[in-house]
Amino acid sequence: MSELSHAAGKAAAAQDTSRKINLRALMMEGRALFALLLIVVVFSLLSPNFLSADNLIIMTRHVAMNAILAIGMLLVILNGGIDLSVGSTVGLSGVVAGMLLQGLEIKSLNVFLYPAVWVVIIVSLGVGTLVGYVNGVVVARLKVAPFIATLGMLYVARGIALLITNGTPFSSLEGEAGLGNTGFLTFLKGAPLGLPMPVWAMILFAAIFAVVLSKSPFGRWLYATGGNERAAELSGVPVKKVQTRIYVLSGLCAAAVGLLLTGDLSSATPAAGEFFELNAIAAVVIGGAALSGGRGTIRGTLIGAFVIGFLVDGLVLIGVSQFWQQIIKGAVIIVAVALDQLQQTLQKRRSAKAAVSPPKPSERTPAPV
Amino acid sequence: MFRKIAVVAAMGVMALSLASCGGSSSSTASSSAAPAAGGGSQGGTIAVITVDLANSYWQAEANTAKAEIEKAGYKATVNAHGADADKQNQLIDTAISNKVKAIILDPAGADESVAAVQKATDAGIPVLLVNAEISKQGIAKSQIISNNAQGATIGAEAWVKAMGGKGKYVELFGNPTDNNAKVRSDGYAAVISAYPDLKKLGQETANWDRAQGKDKMEGLIAAHPDMTGVIAGNDEMALGAIEALKGAKMLDKVKVLGFDGSADAVNAVRSGTMVATVLQPIVQGTTNAVAQAVEYLKTGKTGVPDEKQSIDCVLITKDNADKYTSPFVMEK
Repeated sequence: MSELSHAAGKAAAAQDTSRKINLRALMMEGRALFALLLIVVVFSLLSPNFLSADNLIIMTRHVAMNAILAIGMLLVILNGGIDLSVGSTVGLSGVVAGMLLQGLEIKSLNVFLYPAVWVVIIVSLGVGTLVGYVNGVVVARLKVAPFIATLGMLYVARGIALLITNGTPFSSLEGEAGLGNTGFLTFLKGAPLGLPMPVWAMILFAAIFAVVLSKSPFGRWLYATGGNERAAELSGVPVKKVQTRIYVLSGLCAAAVGLLLTGDLSSATPAAGEFFELNAIAAVVIGGAALSGGRGTIRGTLIGAFVIGFLVDGLVLIGVSQFWQQIIKGAVIIVAVALDQLQQTLQKRRSAKAAVSPPKPSERTPAPV
Repeated sequence: MFRKIAVVAAMGVMALSLASCGGSSSSTASSSAAPAAGGGSQGGTIAVITVDLANSYWQAEANTAKAEIEKAGYKATVNAHGADADKQNQLIDTAISNKVKAIILDPAGADESVAAVQKATDAGIPVLLVNAEISKQGIAKSQIISNNAQGATIGAEAWVKAMGGKGKYVELFGNPTDNNAKVRSDGYAAVISAYPDLKKLGQETANWDRAQGKDKMEGLIAAHPDMTGVIAGNDEMALGAIEALKGAKMLDKVKVLGFDGSADAVNAVRSGTMVATVLQPIVQGTTNAVAQAVEYLKTGKTGVPDEKQSIDCVLITKDNADKYTSPFVMEK
């Protein structure tokens, strides 16, 4: 069975090797890249501080959190789904880390547990993964629409975070040497080779998922389910498994951001990550992914995250009014997606024309790029 | 080919609009700062970071700060973090990149803001806090807050008097992640506990929000139609409660207490729908913060011995509501 679907995936992969499709993908990403270059040029003209090395690192650190969330979001969107719960998962996993660092009281045994930092990190990543797993099961097995399932989880996860903290943040995260749980903040605030930890995390996540999407059967299955779920199922793709797995991965990404954000703020606050899901979705669509699924790349998503992050920071830097900032950000999102749609329509028309004259089947297959 | 041209053209339009609005805003900032060089400083920018520019309370804070900063011969940039500690962090980062001279900050949470304030201080930029405090001392140059406990006490005393020392009441509680919600609630409780004939029927959290205040109040009215009093942690929730009471035709027999001293609330006090509100001296506090920032930039000291400074609140009832001349300002 898996052999068969593997073969189907290989066949699809073989089709996308044609240079034409790569060129098309390049154009698609080129648009976002062009917007990014434009932002850099405009802001460096308007502010002498925009292009300083320090500021570039700072802005990239801001971008990194959103980019990691957006990578998880891309996986879900490739499947034609959406994950609205990531912002709440950010808050929840941060709070879980905070709680564990304060010490976990087990009333029945009357003991306090102080887990080591690596345990704390694994457990809070695990909590995010669990949230994602629940999303995945509800979507894939119970057939609840992703928008609804994850909207529900948005409230549930935030509620649990508030419940754990009783509304007040955990802020003594240094740990104690005697308890063997120090180093959490030092690790997350570290900057090996001058790059802050969130940037390293972004590079790591992007590299892993770029390989997963382009080289692994899972990646091919994902593009196939997003392009045409029924066809994918018939050709032997384990649709439900793929669907569950992407929400798990999105939850994992959100949990990683929760940890990074907790390090950034030196405190685990239950309100962390509110509305992060919207910025992540924006990055994915600016990066050229289709909300209907089947189309989008890690590279594009990263560029999308940089566009949003650099735009927001740049506007603050040159002192544009807060209200204008929102209007401009919104306009950029709409323009990006509108241009994308325009391009899609034109492309469809062109390939329809091509299909009429010499019949080339490879042209008509949706490109899993 | 046409498509490419269209795409490039659209991007160009975007760039132009971006450039023009950036240009216009920076030109207004510099033109307003230029003539007021009376301070004798070489100028520079002071960043103001407030909570929410769509709320009259923080508007008063931001507008006061901007006016005072420009009066002292500096440029001002105004941004809001929306009570989001991460956004605050990013705004501080940008202020550091922008090499501002000082930061006037209304912090997003006592614990969550420590790291951000520390970062700016480490970068050599003095941070002066206004309206809310952070949980560590010795980092910010000043922490200027309104005395919420004292404000809650005088508010509750006025409300108890209006109630005649007896009756049944409910409470609308602010955002639980904000320490002021608890301080005010405790302040109310301390006064009310001296009156055994005042019975609390219920309490709901309405997150400082008018719409939530109305919704929660409607639920409380359904559960306790015999109530005669409402204490709210801020004006917005109190105004929401008043709307709900109007709908239930109970407003004439229920006494409502607010807190903050917003223009809407003072109007409600004038018209008799709200018993009293407590004016937070945000304009005074912000003025002080800017003055201390300017002093610090000139001399390296704020000129005030204590980092933590608390300014007493002022009770507003029907008797003195006429002295409320502009948002959050009382004539002496």
